[in-house]
Amino acid sequence: MPVPIIMPKFGFTLESCEIVQWLVREGDRVRSGDPICEVTTDKVNMEVEAPEDGVIHQILYKAGDVVPVTQVICYLLRPNEVAETATAAIAAESAPSATPLARRIAESNQLDLAAVQGSGRDGKIMRRDVEQALGKVRATPAARRLAAEHGVDLAEVQGTGRGGRVQGTDVQAALAQRAAEPAAPLIKRDTQEMPPPNIAEHADRRVVRLEGMRRTIAQRLQKSFQSAPHIFLDTTVDMSAIEALRATLKARGEKLSVTAVLIRACAWALGRNPALNATLEGDEISYWRNANIGMAVALQDGLIVPVIHRAEQLSLYAIQQEVDRLAALAREGKLTLDQVSGGTFTVTNMGMFGVDSFTAIINPPQVAILAVGRTVRSFVPDAEGKPILKPTLTMTLSADHRVVDGAHAAHFLRDLRDVIQTPSLLAW
Amino acid sequence: MIQLSQDLIQRYHDLIETLGPETLKAMLQEMHLIRAFEERAEQLYMQGKVHGTMHLSIGQEATAVGAANAMQEGDYLLNHHRGHGHCMAWGSDPNRMMAEFMGKETGYCRGRGGSMHIADVDANNLGANGIVAGGIPIAVGVGLSIKMRRTSQVCLVIFGDGAANEGAFHEALNMASIWALPIVFLCENNQYAMSMPVQKAFNIENISQRAAAYGLPGVTVDGNDPLAVYTAVSEAAARARRGEGATLVEAKTYRYKGHSKSDKQAYRSREEVRFWQENRDPIMRFSQLLLTAGLISEAEAAQMRERAIAIIDEAVAFSEASPAPDVADIMDGVYA
Amino acid sequence: MPELRELTYAEALREGLRQLMEEDERVFLIGEDIGVYGGAFGVTAGLIERFGAERVIDTPISEAGIAGACIGAALTGMRPIGEIQFMDFVTLSMEQLVLQAAKVRFMFGGKASVPMVLRMPGGSGTGAAAQHSESLENWFVHVPGLKVVMPSTPYDAKGLLRAAVLDDNPVIFVEHKLLYKTKGHVPEAPYVVPLSQTKVVREGAHLTVVATSVMVGRALQAAEQLAEEGIQLEVIDPRTLKPLDDAPIIESVKKTGRALVVHEAVEMGGFGGEVVARIAASEAFDYLEAPIRRLAGLDIPIPYNRELEYHTVPQVESIVREARKLVRGEY
Repeated sequence: MPVPIIMPKFGFTLESCEIVQWLVREGDRVRSGDPICEVTTDKVNMEVEAPEDGVIHQILYKAGDVVPVTQVICYLLRPNEVAETATAAIAAESAPSATPLARRIAESNQLDLAAVQGSGRDGKIMRRDVEQALGKVRATPAARRLAAEHGVDLAEVQGTGRGGRVQGTDVQAALAQRAAEPAAPLIKRDTQEMPPPNIAEHADRRVVRLEGMRRTIAQRLQKSFQSAPHIFLDTTVDMSAIEALRATLKARGEKLSVTAVLIRACAWALGRNPALNATLEGDEISYWRNANIGMAVALQDGLIVPVIHRAEQLSLYAIQQEVDRLAALAREGKLTLDQVSGGTFTVTNMGMFGVDSFTAIINPPQVAILAVGRTVRSFVPDAEGKPILKPTLTMTLSADHRVVDGAHAAHFLRDLRDVIQTPSLLAW
Repeated sequence: MIQLSQDLIQRYHDLIETLGPETLKAMLQEMHLIRAFEERAEQLYMQGKVHGTMHLSIGQEATAVGAANAMQEGDYLLNHHRGHGHCMAWGSDPNRMMAEFMGKETGYCRGRGGSMHIADVDANNLGANGIVAGGIPIAVGVGLSIKMRRTSQVCLVIFGDGAANEGAFHEALNMASIWALPIVFLCENNQYAMSMPVQKAFNIENISQRAAAYGLPGVTVDGNDPLAVYTAVSEAAARARRGEGATLVEAKTYRYKGHSKSDKQAYRSREEVRFWQENRDPIMRFSQLLLTAGLISEAEAAQMRERAIAIIDEAVAFSEASPAPDVADIMDGVYA
Repeated sequence: MPELRELTYAEALREGLRQLMEEDERVFLIGEDIGVYGGAFGVTAGLIERFGAERVIDTPISEAGIAGACIGAALTGMRPIGEIQFMDFVTLSMEQLVLQAAKVRFMFGGKASVPMVLRMPGGSGTGAAAQHSESLENWFVHVPGLKVVMPSTPYDAKGLLRAAVLDDNPVIFVEHKLLYKTKGHVPEAPYVVPLSQTKVVREGAHLTVVATSVMVGRALQAAEQLAEEGIQLEVIDPRTLKPLDDAPIIESVKKTGRALVVHEAVEMGGFGGEVVARIAASEAFDYLEAPIRRLAGLDIPIPYNRELEYHTVPQVESIVREARKLVRGEY
């Protein structure tokens, strides 16, 4: 019996990974530990390795497929095994045999595959078989026609007919809703058909498929913005003290970035305002003991947020080193899963792009994010009310109002401001 | 060799005078033609060239010829499934009959009717009928129509002994009687329905007795004597034409072959069949009569058979060369 | 605007018969008790006085004979209109109708024709019980070569009768006992309601109801009731069952997405099955929102007891119930 190679569960919350590319083909000889395919999980690329020596047999998914973890993605023939008998053994073992897509559709409709007649080779259950099995029970001819005409997946339409049957009117309602409010669809891939090209050039535009990191980002941002009621608080801080510190360090040949300062300052402020150092998952709020602060790094194709763990324990110097190291890894695409997980708060700085201030979308499951603008020279009143030129910077805090009250947010922001304007407070 | 008594010749003297040699010879030729046709039809069937089944009237030629000759131009004919002879005696073209047998487009019914449903509508031959007694009520309608249209036509409806026990027979005779319809009901009693002999199916000696039950005249004649049949039918037709209504004529005859092609004839003996063939054969008798009356010579008599066969040969050739119906026309003729 | 002239269904038929006989000498009537008695349901009353015994022919009790007489006469130049006293008795004419009238033309290769009409009252509701209450129209629908007509109103009765007599084919003309006394507008001058022309009697958006004979009126009553609940029935009367003009039915079901066929005859093997099969096999299939249903006679002989007789066939209430269930998505 050949060895099944499954999609690994890289992280305990991980549910599925997208296959980026196969590094082997069916029939290739591999050694234990050889990478056989590259997958992406939550923006980080991982490799799946061969568990033992053998020959690759029956690759079940292709690049672009999103595969649930622990699902078999291919088989490995042991050195003494023969391909034909292996195929038969696999077919016999996995009953009922079905294509991954058929399986997915069946699952999402609570359809027992054992009840489906397979029309594919060797009785394999194909997508059409599942759809037909669903169709026999679930939709009127009118519904089916409308669904076909408008590209609606009947499996996703709520049926109001007898026994949950999908009526034509239900499809019409689904269409109306789709027009009014584009829902976040599960992007379904048909592995049986030719996938459309990633990029299509038209006369007036270039069309790119939403996939990979971009898609992950899109999904998460949408989810965040839709579920968390964001409140926004901003403040402008006097950066004179920080500027002085930076100048001093520069004279010594050392570099301190505003980002590193902010990370350290946020860690200090979060220590005093634990309500914002939290994550919300389902009904549970976790108030974390350490401030693991994510730092948003812009990449060519998107955004990644490496995390500086236990920032409250690190000196400014240590934080700066982390910042530099993680940023470099991020740009090279070499961040590990651990390095992008576990964040409790995020800082995002667009000052280097000349942005004065902006509002950011919270990075779930966190409950707050700080958006930092650029340092500008502006006139502020002194003690006597006379205008003096000072370096100032505007920060905007976004907080999830389900978890963070306005007062807490304001308090945090005041603490942050204080520690930035009077950095010696960091020693406190 | 059939011996004819002088009585017979005397009896028919006037008729022979009236009809004349040409008609009489034509009648004999017709009988030969019918027999040749039937024999050839049987042969073709055995050779697998004809499909379905057929009901042969070999031995019954005299009834057909005698009756047909007794009717006039414009009269109507309705007959039954054993009707090839009636059809031919009525003047149908053997070519088209044979073509219908073979299911060809050139047949009388464009291949749609077959043996049991041959009709020659233009000649007022309203068809053979696959249902025993099926044509009898129709004859009533024809009779009504003649009366309403006030013509001097007559309807000849021929049926077998079996039909006389169908309900439709009784309804029709009654209606014909009460309305005095111009119909000749000719019962061709060949002694057997399918396998049931008349002795078992009837409790009366002659079927013609049933006429009395409906207030109609009835007469029984020797069905193997064409002149006897001729006499009875022409008298009946004349009555009808005079407005005196219908008559039931029973012609007693015998069929040599089984009911249909799948009949093993377990219900009668070979001896019985042979008896009728050797002693009562209508063609032999009529030939004898004409010979004795000096109307034909031996040679002529022999030639008639040859001529009949030749005509049938032609009919077969015609049919074999004819096209089959086009399946594309399958829906033709359902509705007018 | 000419004043609307109301006649009963029986009167409309009588007027139609009279006008046909006046125009064409070839037309005559034949049947039991149609002369002096005027017909069991009075349809031919007065006609023998007008046209004489030669053209209004009383027969002995001989249904096979009546049918045969019509066939023979039609084959030889006449245009007979036969009457079978109760549809039940047509069973005695079956051989002549099915094996002769229907088939002669085809068997003779397209020669000869049988331009006859055989009228008969069918249906229950008069307490006449099992042997005098039949609805056997679908037996004839099943025979190639026949035409089958079922008028539901006095207007249609007179017009369809004329069309049937003018048609050169054998037509089985099925009247309904309960309709004889119903009234409706009937123009005096002769007119034709063409054979094989289905009529949309009432328009509606929610459910297509195909009904025949006495069920057309019941469906219309049901429609009135349901309209008050906001349910709009579209009622369709085929009028000629064979050959069937099914296009309006298909179009209607495409519009409404739901169909119900209502007839008196027993459901199993009844005309409803034919209509349902045609809808299911047509373009209308892709527009169906519910299974196609039939409401028809129970699979029992017509009982004598009034209450039982009533419940054996569809009534206004049962049509309302079934229609409501269909439209409300209970199927």
